Amino acid sequence: MELIRDCLDKQLIDRNGRKMGKADGLVMLIEEGKRPRVAFIEVGGVTQARRLHTRLAKLVASLSKRFKVDESDPYRIPWSKVVVSGIDVTVNVDAEETPALAWEKWLRKNVIGKIPGA
Amino acid sequence: MKKALEIALGIVTSVGGFLEIGSITTAAQGGASFRFQLIWAILLGGLCLIFLVEQSGRLAAVSRHTITDAIRERFGFNYFIFLLIILSLVILLVLGAEIGGVCVALEFITGVGFQWWAVPVALLIWLIIWKGTFSFIEDGASILGLVTVCFLVAAIVLHPPWKEVAHGALPTLPASDKAHYWFIVVSILGASISPYLMFFYSSGAVEDKWDESYINANRAISVLGMSFGTVLSVAVLIVSALVYLPRGIQVEHYSQLPLMLIDAFGYWGFILFAASLGIACLGATLEITLEIAYMVAQGFGWNWSENQRPREEARFSLVYTVIIILGALLVVVGIDPLKLTIFSMALTAATLPVAIVPFLFLMNDEAYMHEHRNGFLSNAVVIFIIGMTFVLAVVTIPLEIFGGG
Amino acid sequence: MQKQEVNLELLVGRRVFGLNGKSIGHLEEIQAELIKGECLVTEYLVGAYAVVERLAALSIGRAILKLFGATKKHDGYRVPWDKLDLTDPERPRLLCSVDELKTLAGE
Repeated sequence: MELIRDCLDKQLIDRNGRKMGKADGLVMLIEEGKRPRVAFIEVGGVTQARRLHTRLAKLVASLSKRFKVDESDPYRIPWSKVVVSGIDVTVNVDAEETPALAWEKWLRKNVIGKIPGA
Repeated sequence: MKKALEIALGIVTSVGGFLEIGSITTAAQGGASFRFQLIWAILLGGLCLIFLVEQSGRLAAVSRHTITDAIRERFGFNYFIFLLIILSLVILLVLGAEIGGVCVALEFITGVGFQWWAVPVALLIWLIIWKGTFSFIEDGASILGLVTVCFLVAAIVLHPPWKEVAHGALPTLPASDKAHYWFIVVSILGASISPYLMFFYSSGAVEDKWDESYINANRAISVLGMSFGTVLSVAVLIVSALVYLPRGIQVEHYSQLPLMLIDAFGYWGFILFAASLGIACLGATLEITLEIAYMVAQGFGWNWSENQRPREEARFSLVYTVIIILGALLVVVGIDPLKLTIFSMALTAATLPVAIVPFLFLMNDEAYMHEHRNGFLSNAVVIFIIGMTFVLAVVTIPLEIFGGG
Repeated sequence: MQKQEVNLELLVGRRVFGLNGKSIGHLEEIQAELIKGECLVTEYLVGAYAVVERLAALSIGRAILKLFGATKKHDGYRVPWDKLDLTDPERPRLLCSVDELKTLAGE
């Protein structure tokens, strides 16, 4: 498996078939004497922003804290819940229960939900 | 049987949704300045569009991913952001032009200045997207858009010298005014091969849940739909050549546009033109707004679908709301819709490589296309388009300066 | 035992330096295999290209680049997992000589 080609940036699908973002980052753990292993998939605006520029990542993190959206730490999915299949990556979690939809929920509650007809 | 109906609907919506202010204006200027000489440019643009749209549909049907999805997934987040910024800026200008088109149509009918219509039109667009489903919007706007067939009727009624028209299908060099000629060529190509068309087509295919069984339906829809649509563009050029050129009108102001159909239909021609322009542009604004929002949502990996309620996809809803406001702003501040149209069409041509180069790679990627990868012809055409758009990108700015209106 | 975390998405595209301090290419891809449910890294592919590393990673990409004459003398190297020093993730360094590495044969 080629991690960049098959895993990074791929569409994540939760256990209910719902789209929950793309794999924004891959966290590799290196321990002395052991083979490096990919421990987590990272999802979130901070991870995305960091790929563009570290200062941007800091901005996103502070915005998240300020508005109490709770996305200050990127959300990490342990590899044990991950299945790479074709061009998608299925993860054995429920999108609604994860912080991956933190901004979505915040907007739903504070902005969009307040407009009639939503 | 159901597939046959879907194909028919697909063709009808492609035809009804084909014309918009870009294709109408560039064809009108082409006809008014160079009679039938520029028909080849419209045909060339149409042919390129057919190939690109067919491939977009095939990508969506086989991989169940949209072009934007695939670009992020294969080329990474950073390239997606780069693409998003460039395409959004240009497509936003086009959106401004289309909103302007609706407002101008309303000005023709009511006499009230186009700037005043910007806010109500923006509100209408927003309401349609907020409340409507994808099929309702796409099919509704396009079926209403069939009013644009009046241009074809007008072209026939005006009895053009068909031999001369046929000659126009072959490229010829102009006797004079070369810079202006090539500038219109660039604008025509930009109006025909708008990136948002390909992207929207693939988003639509995924919204409609196409799968591999739709490959032939896709071919029929893209080829026939885009072909008939191209015929409508040519009709606009023919009518303009017969109406404007003899009178020495070069179509430099939008108020000259509604004259187009008066020779053929009398007073009704005026009404028909306003209705055609208004409806065609309204359809385009809906597509463009949705597509920018789709690009953002798909690239960042959000939930996206026009068929869900707004509260189910708050971020997507927020994005299109902002887009509509920005597009309307361009009209409110009074930028001349005609100038904005021509400018944005030329700029579109220049930014095509950014989208089409990755597209070429995707159409040959086995993971996405399985056994439906591009054959030699499809690849050759895309490479030709890439080459052509690089040339367009380079010559656009100088031509804008020397050959523009 | 020290545990170090490295974000692979930030590693991709970075220059990899040889023992002599000179760049041998850019990190293009990381190969891994699944063993007992764990995703273990096998080797790092270091290619000769920079910005187009993701394009080059596709075989069609290489074919098109060859068409335009944009290829270099060799395509790159395979670096086994234990031969790359990532203590500074912004400057990955080889732990062996370049000659010991297998090259990426043109696919």
